[in-house]
Amino acid sequence: MAAPSRTQVLALYRMLLRESKKFPAYNYRTYALRRVRDAFRENRNVEDPKVLEQLLSKACDNLAVIQRQAAIGKMYEIQRTVVESKPNKFI
Amino acid sequence: MASRVLVHCVRSVRLLQHSGVIKSASQRSLSLVPAKWTQLVRVSSPALQLCRQYCDSTPLTLQSIEERVMNVLKLYDKIKPETLQSSSHFMKDLGLDSLDQVEIIMAMEDEFGFEIPDAEAEKLLTPAEVVQYIASKKDVN
Repeated sequence: MAAPSRTQVLALYRMLLRESKKFPAYNYRTYALRRVRDAFRENRNVEDPKVLEQLLSKACDNLAVIQRQAAIGKMYEIQRTVVESKPNKFI
Repeated sequence: MASRVLVHCVRSVRLLQHSGVIKSASQRSLSLVPAKWTQLVRVSSPALQLCRQYCDSTPLTLQSIEERVMNVLKLYDKIKPETLQSSSHFMKDLGLDSLDQVEIIMAMEDEFGFEIPDAEAEKLLTPAEVVQYIASKKDVN
């Protein structure tokens, strides 16, 4: 596999954020969003193609995990916490 | 038992009134019934028609789009509201990176409720361009 391009990385970032927003539980949702953002910023200066490839495959695996866990979370919805007063319109 | 008979009576009277067979007779028999019940018979009043609501948001104008875009940008924590202008470049003037730009576009999607494809999202680099793009995708008067 060739070194991932810039657009590929950005598309993955977008997808990860979008899937993370689907967690119904507030704690998991904010954690996932924060973790995705931090991980991408942490590795923003990585140039080595080998490391890049590893990171990208790790991100793909995590995307699958997030999708799965968000789907499971929807099956067992819990009460909203006090901090989220009303449901978001577009999520 | 008595109440059941009464209910039956009222129902038949309503039916007759609805079909317009006996107006006067129904008026007379309804005088036995409390006024509260007779009011229920009236179905189509102009007030009901006025209350009808169609599910639609207020129409967008260029100005309102710009206002909303600027509002979203001001709320983004890495942008200083005082440096923000509609012509300022996200990366050159505001010091953001491509990850921030992706997040801004996602915030716009949330605000306006439609999806912006990747290929077009990466070309939107100033607030003015974002406004222009949204205006071209939505109905604007």
